[in-house]
Amino acid sequence: MRVRFFGVRGSLPVPGRRTERYGGNTSCVEVVTDGGTRIVIDAGTGIRRLGKELMQAEREAGGKETHILVSHTHWDHIQGLPFFAPLYHPGSRLVVHAQQRNGGPLRSVLNSQTDAPYFPVSANQVKAEVAFRELAEGARFEIQDARVESARLNHPYVATAYAVVADGARVAYVSDTAPFVDILFGEEFVARPPEADLPPAAREALRAMRAEVVGLCEGADLVIYDTMFTPEDYRLMPHFGHSRPSDAIEISREAGARTLALYHHAPERSDDEIDGMLARARELAARPGVALKVIAAYEGLDLPLGPSARSEEAR
Amino acid sequence: MEVTFYGVRGSIAAPGPGTVRYGGNTACVLVRLAGGELVILDCGTGARNLGLSLLGGPFGKGQGRASILLSHAHWDHIQGFPFFGPFYTAGNRFTVYGGANTPALLEEVLERQMAAQYFPVQTIKNLNAQIEMRAAPLGEPFSVGTAVVRATANPHGSVRALAFRIQDGDRSLVYASDAGYAREGPSAEALALYADADLLIHDATFTPEDRASRLERGLSSSEDAIEAALRARARRLALFHYDQDYSDRDIDLMLERSRHTLEQRRGQLEIVAAAEGLTITV
Repeated sequence: MRVRFFGVRGSLPVPGRRTERYGGNTSCVEVVTDGGTRIVIDAGTGIRRLGKELMQAEREAGGKETHILVSHTHWDHIQGLPFFAPLYHPGSRLVVHAQQRNGGPLRSVLNSQTDAPYFPVSANQVKAEVAFRELAEGARFEIQDARVESARLNHPYVATAYAVVADGARVAYVSDTAPFVDILFGEEFVARPPEADLPPAAREALRAMRAEVVGLCEGADLVIYDTMFTPEDYRLMPHFGHSRPSDAIEISREAGARTLALYHHAPERSDDEIDGMLARARELAARPGVALKVIAAYEGLDLPLGPSARSEEAR
Repeated sequence: MEVTFYGVRGSIAAPGPGTVRYGGNTACVLVRLAGGELVILDCGTGARNLGLSLLGGPFGKGQGRASILLSHAHWDHIQGFPFFGPFYTAGNRFTVYGGANTPALLEEVLERQMAAQYFPVQTIKNLNAQIEMRAAPLGEPFSVGTAVVRATANPHGSVRALAFRIQDGDRSLVYASDAGYAREGPSAEALALYADADLLIHDATFTPEDRASRLERGLSSSEDAIEAALRARARRLALFHYDQDYSDRDIDLMLERSRHTLEQRRGQLEIVAAAEGLTITV
């Protein structure tokens, strides 16, 4: 299995010199199994470059199938989709998966993005064959030689974590989520930090949600985790639905994951600041007897996962 | 009048090492009128950086005022709206003008971008600033601070995009992004709007070759921009709204080529390529 990062940013794309090294494109990660199954997680602006690359490859290899797992439909996770070149190629086939939600079927939520007056090319001009699969909470299913697991996350509206298991490797994608302590998100708008303690039922729901996420990360070769917030950010904005590196480390360690990739970097975070965040996270993760490796995801990062990668690393 | 570019790109933000000089943010321009009032042209992703810089002044204290002119509602012209920081500070006041028949229709278009499925804030009503929507009257002048603004609709593929002229005393600025003229070039109304502009910020999405193969997009080439500027006798032309695939080097070449064209035509015009952070005094 091979995992490549095409967009690592949250909220909105941030071009410029301050983001040159880690990259300014919004969320998009590609997972390809040894058998060639292609699963893309999230369709932020990063998916544009992946699409171009696939079209170049397709001219040689013919039409191909791509599965897209959508964590949730906030802009930074879907805004690249209209710019995904295979959509306009008659030979390609796309299957888009996302958790069921209120407020309209997935097809209309995604297709509205290209309705007039917002976009010049409407969904009926798409040439690829596109299918939409709405998932029940916690759904598990197969995509050819890969097994996909999912779990609900703690984020406004609906967000879903995924794990892709294939070739003796597991990668977990946990974005976007708040930690499972101070607030339980639903569909309502949360205007300010919570003032009162959570009712017992909410605490219980968060405990259960957290257990599912730990399960998804269990023994993972790679955990990709929303670490948009510094501790200070979280103190001010616990009601925004994002985590700190310490939250990601806690979950990854408990799940016995090998590598944690800090992900969904805040738009204001410069390359140097991400370096600093990574250094602090590594200090935090360094505990005797626990071998959790921490990296910060960047555009272009290409990670082989599986038994051969593990033995390579052991050497 | 002083103009500063915060986003100069078309279609979609284009981060990466290849775009750091001209910038990868989508359309957003700040105009500071002679009397100090602020006019914002379009709200692409550049609006985020603009918001951050404005928060250092009166907008940070809830004492800011600005008018926002929207050319049209394609994503690259509105997608920075939810990320414009001064909207989140109570006391700030904005008037948004756009090409809708009624203020309610304009609000609905912007509102759909904020919906819960797409953005956690869920509705414009959750923004703390006071935001008033107005339908920009076509052809009819309206006042913004010390300036008089006029709007004309240009063809832009299957829709229309407004071009704005801001006349501030004896100085004039025209913003004409996303213009896909017919073969005969700008309409008489458009040329009247652009006439003798001190600065014409004009759509130059494509090279002439790329424009020829993508006519249906309804966008201009750098040569279309020069043609419009010359016919309108503009004094200065800023190329704007570059294709997302163009690197800094590509834009350098586009500018060189534009200057060459101008020389051949013996045109009296100064050409610049808009870049994030560039400030032009009109």
